Amino acid sequence: MAREQPLPDRVTLLGIRHHGPGSARMVAAALEAVRPEVVLIEGPPEGDALLPHVPSLTPPVALLLHDEAEPARAAFWPFAEFSPEWRAMTWARVNGVPVRFFDLPAAASLDDPEPSDSDSADDVPKAAVDPLGTLAEAAGFDDPERWWEDVVEHHTDPRDLAEAVAEAMGALREEFADQVDARTLRREAAMRQNVRQALKDVEGSIAVVAGAWHVPALRTLPPASVDAAALKGLPRKKISGTWVPWSHGRLAASSGYGAGVASPGWYAHLWECAERGDAVPRWFAKACGVLRAEDLPGSTASAVEAVRLADALAAMRGRPSPGLSEVMEATLAVLCGGDATPLRLVHEQLVVGERLGEVGEDVPTSPLAADLARWQRRLRMPPSASVKPMRFDLRKDTDRERSKLLRRLEVLDVPWGTPDTTRTLGTFAEAWQLHWRPEFAVALAVAARHGTTVEAAAGTVLIARAAAATRVVDAAETLSQAVGCEIPEAVAASRQALDRCAAAATDALELLSALPDLATTVRYGSVRGTDPELLRVALHGLLARGAVGLPLACRGVDDDTAERAVRAVEGADDAVRLAADDEHRDTWQRALKSLVAMPDAHGLPTGRATRLLWETGALDSDEVATRLHRAVSLAAGATAFVAGFLRGSAALLTADPRLFAVVDEWLTGLSGADFAAALPLLRRAVGEFSPAERRMLGDRVKGSTAGGAVASGDWDEELAARLVGHVRDLLGAGAGAGTGAGTGRAGAGA
Amino acid sequence: MTTESVLRPAAEQQYAAELAAVAAADDRPRPPRWRMSPQAVVTYVLGGRLPDGTVITPKYVGDRRLVEVAVGTLVTDRALLLVGVPGTAKSWLSEHIAAAVSGNSMLVVQGTAGTGEDQVRYGWNYARLIAEGPSEAAIVASPVMTGMREGAVVRVEELTRMPAEVQDSFITILSEKTLPVPELGIQVQAVPGFTVIATANDRDRGVNQMSSALARRFNTVVLPPPATEDDEVEIVSARAAQLGRALQLPAEPPALEEVRRVVRIFRELRNGSTVDGRTQLKKPSGSLSTAEAISVVTSGMALAGHFGSGTITADELASGLLGAVVKDRVSDTAAWQEYLEAVVKERAEWRDLYRACQDMVG
Repeated sequence: MAREQPLPDRVTLLGIRHHGPGSARMVAAALEAVRPEVVLIEGPPEGDALLPHVPSLTPPVALLLHDEAEPARAAFWPFAEFSPEWRAMTWARVNGVPVRFFDLPAAASLDDPEPSDSDSADDVPKAAVDPLGTLAEAAGFDDPERWWEDVVEHHTDPRDLAEAVAEAMGALREEFADQVDARTLRREAAMRQNVRQALKDVEGSIAVVAGAWHVPALRTLPPASVDAAALKGLPRKKISGTWVPWSHGRLAASSGYGAGVASPGWYAHLWECAERGDAVPRWFAKACGVLRAEDLPGSTASAVEAVRLADALAAMRGRPSPGLSEVMEATLAVLCGGDATPLRLVHEQLVVGERLGEVGEDVPTSPLAADLARWQRRLRMPPSASVKPMRFDLRKDTDRERSKLLRRLEVLDVPWGTPDTTRTLGTFAEAWQLHWRPEFAVALAVAARHGTTVEAAAGTVLIARAAAATRVVDAAETLSQAVGCEIPEAVAASRQALDRCAAAATDALELLSALPDLATTVRYGSVRGTDPELLRVALHGLLARGAVGLPLACRGVDDDTAERAVRAVEGADDAVRLAADDEHRDTWQRALKSLVAMPDAHGLPTGRATRLLWETGALDSDEVATRLHRAVSLAAGATAFVAGFLRGSAALLTADPRLFAVVDEWLTGLSGADFAAALPLLRRAVGEFSPAERRMLGDRVKGSTAGGAVASGDWDEELAARLVGHVRDLLGAGAGAGTGAGTGRAGAGA
Repeated sequence: MTTESVLRPAAEQQYAAELAAVAAADDRPRPPRWRMSPQAVVTYVLGGRLPDGTVITPKYVGDRRLVEVAVGTLVTDRALLLVGVPGTAKSWLSEHIAAAVSGNSMLVVQGTAGTGEDQVRYGWNYARLIAEGPSEAAIVASPVMTGMREGAVVRVEELTRMPAEVQDSFITILSEKTLPVPELGIQVQAVPGFTVIATANDRDRGVNQMSSALARRFNTVVLPPPATEDDEVEIVSARAAQLGRALQLPAEPPALEEVRRVVRIFRELRNGSTVDGRTQLKKPSGSLSTAEAISVVTSGMALAGHFGSGTITADELASGLLGAVVKDRVSDTAAWQEYLEAVVKERAEWRDLYRACQDMVG
C-alpha cells in the first residue's frame, strides 16, 4: 500500500485545547521560539479573507460564515482572548507572518448534516471533543486548566510541551479509535492537503495550531492522492462571512455550544493572572467586589479566610493549587454563608463573566447590519450581553424611535427587546427588556435580503405577510405590527388584507377574536402616528359582520366551539368598551340580546352574554332570574348556562351585592325539586373557582344578610359622597357603567 | 466505662477500633494536636477500605464535597457552622468529626433558651470562691475553656437556640482565640487545635437569628436532606439496625421493603408530590426528617419485639407514622387522610398498611 512519510521537521505541530488558556500560553511561547514563516490555524479557509480585520476586533468575537444563496445556513467559529487560535492570529499579526485557516472549507462543512461548528454536537464522545480534559479527569482533576498549569506546564520544558501533548494524543486516539468518524477523517485529509500546500509555498518553518485530537493524524503524511480522493466531490458554494461580536455566555457550554467551556470567566481570569501568579487571591477579591456591589457582606477578612479554605481543600484533594471547584466551594462556605443565591451571582458575573466583544467599523457587514449599527448609535442603545430593562415614554421622539426600532427588529426575527407585559403603564409608556444575543447576527444576515435598511426590510416582510394572510386573525396581527413599526405602506397593505380576509370569512367567531388585538391598536394608533380613524373603520367593519353572525355561530355547536365562542364574546366585549363608538356599542348589544333570545344556542356563550347584558343594565335582575329559571328547567345545556353566567366572577360575586342578590334570590326562590335539580349544575359551575374563592363565597353566604344591611345601613353619607366624588374624578367621565357598583363598594368600605 | 454499660456510647468509644485503624494507616501530615490528617478524617466519616483491608463503615451518607469543605474549614482559622432542617445529621456529623479530629466528642455546649454565659465562658465554685476568694482553682471551666486549653474541637449544639447575647460571647473567643477572666486579671489563650463546630437549624420556630458579626466567624455548610430514596433507605436501615442493637430490642432488623415504604412516605409528603410526580399532595407541617423516619422504624421494632411477632409489619409502622406525620391535629390529619386515600390505597401491595393506618385514625 501507500508509503507514509513522516512530517518534515520544519513543521511544528501545536495540539491545543480549544478555549484553553494553558494551550494559549503554550502556543504563544512556541511561536516565539520557532518563529515560523507561516501559521496554519484550524478553521475554514474561507475565513482567510477576513483575517486582515483582526486588529480592529476585541474578543470574544466569532467568525460567521454563511451560504450566500441561503444565509440561514451559517456557522460560527468563536474566539476568546484566551483562545490559542486567537493568540496565534495576534502573534502572526504583530510579527507580520501570514496566517491561513487550514480545515475543511465551510462550503463542505456547512452542508454536513451534523452541526458544523468544529467538534460540537452531544453525541460526539468527550474524548474527541476535549481530549486534554479527558486526560485531566483521568489524573483526578476536575478543572483541566489547573491540571495543565500545575502538572503539565510547571513540570515540563515549554519547548517539549507540544511533543508531550502529541504523544499523549497518540495513545488516547488509539484507545478511542472507534470514535473517529468519517467527518473527522475528511477534515484531517483537508488539513494534510493544506499542510502540503504550505510546504510547497515556503522554505522555512511552519507552525500548525489544531485541536489536540487531530495531532496524531497530522504527524505522518500519506500519499497526496489518498487525501485527494477522500476530498473528491465535496460541494462547492459561494460563502460569505464577517466577524460578529460574541459573548462569554455563548462560549459557556450551558447555552448549548458543544465545544464551549463551562467557565469562560474563570479561564479569562486564569489567563490574565498567569503572569502574576495570584489567581486565587485576586479571584476572591473580585468575588467580594461582586457581593459588595449588591450590598451583600464581603469583607477583606472573609476573602483571606476563603483563600485559606480553598488552599486547604486543594491540599486535602492532593492538588497543588485550588481549581474552580475548590474556589467555588470556598466561596459558598465562607463568602455566601452557605446560601446558594449570592453564589449564583458570583457564578454569573465571574465564572461565566458576561462580556461582549467588539468589531471595528472597517469589518464588512451587510447594509442592513450597518443601518442597525447607525440606529444603535443614534438612539444611544449599545447592544449589551446582559439583560437590561428600559422604559420608553412614547411622547418623546427618541423613545418613540427606539420602540419603533425594537418592533421592526422583532418583525425581522431579531427579538433584541421583549415587551414587558407584567406591568401596564398606560397608553404613553412602554417597558422593554433588552438582551443582545450574538446569534442575532444570523437572523440579520437572513433578513439582509429583504432590504438595505431596518425600515425597508421590516416593511417588505410585513407586506409579504399581509399578502399571504388568509385568516382575519393573522391580518389583524400584521396590522397591529405594522402600526407598531410605523411603516405606512405596511399599514395600508395589512389594512387591505384585513378587508379581504373579513369579506371571505364565514366564521363570526373568527371575526370577533380579531377584535381585541385591533382595539389595542386603535387605542395606541394616535401615539404611533397612524390615523386612528383608518383603524376605527376597520374595527367597526369587523364588529358589524361579527355581531350579525354571532347568534348563529353559537347554535348547535359542541363544547369546544362554545369555549371559543365565550372567549370571542369576552374579548369582543372588552374591545367594544375600549374602542367602539356609541353606534357600534348598540350594534354589539343587539347581537348579545339576540344571542340571549335564541332558544337553541349553546348555554356557555348565552350565559356569558346574559351576564354582560346585565352588567351594562340592558337586562334587569328579574329578567336574569327568569333566564336562570328557564335554563335550569331545560335539562341539557343548563350547567353550561350557569357556568357561563358565573364564570370567573367569584370575587365579583362576593363583593357585588347586586350580583349576589340575583343569584341568591334565584336560588332561594327555587322549589325543593327544582333546587335538587339545580344542585349538581351549581356545584359544577362553582367547581371552577379556586378553593380560596369558594371559601370567601361560603363566608359571604353565611353572613349573607349582612351585605344588604351594610349597604343601606349606618354609614357616613357625607364622607361616602366625598369619596365617590373623588373616585369619579380619578376615573374621569368614562366610568358611567361602573358607577353603580362603585357606589356599592364605597358604601361597604365606609 | 465499657461500651456495653452505657445507653449511648460516644462516637469515639463506639468506633474506637475504626478510629485507631484509620489513624494507624494515615501517613499524611497532621495539623497540630489532630489525631489524624484531614484526609483521614474524611475517610473515617465517609467510610471506605484502608490499605490493610480494614473496612470503615460510612458515618455520613451524602456529598463528599460537603464533608471535605467541613473538614477543610477546621484546618483554617474559621469555625464551622452546620446548617440544615432538623434531622439532616448535623449533630451526628459534628460528633464524628470531633471524635476523629480530637478523639473527644464530649466537649459540648447545648444551646437552649436557658443557656447562660457561664456555660460558654466559665462559672465559679461558690464554696471555694467564698472560702478562698477568686482564684484559678475556684473557676469551673466550661467545655469551651477546656477545649481552648487542650487544643480540642468544641461542639456547640443548636447555636441559634441560645439567647442572642450569649451567642455573642463567642465572638471574642472565635476571633481573638482568648477567653479573658477579668476577676483574676488573666486570660486563657487557646492552643492550636482549638476550633468550634456549631449546628443550627433554619426551620424551627423560636430561634434567635445569629448576629452578622458572629456569622462572619463561621464558614457555613448547608446539609441537605438525602438526595435519593436509595440513600435515605440506606441511612434509615443502617441506623435502625444499630439502634436496635444498642437498645437491645428483641426484634429482627426490619426488612428492606418496610424501610423503603417508610422512606417513600416521608419523601413524598416532604416533597409534596408522589415519586412518579403525578399526584400533588398536601405537605404536613412537620419536617419529616430522616431522623424521624429512623425513629418510626425503631419504635416499630420495639413494638414488634415486645408486643408482636418479632418482625415488623404494617401494624407496628402505622402508629409511628401517624405520630410522625400528624403534628398539628387539624391540618395534618387532613393531609394524612388525603395521602392515605389518594396514594396508599391505590398501591395494591400497600393494602395492609392502608388498613392498619385506617384502624389507627379510626
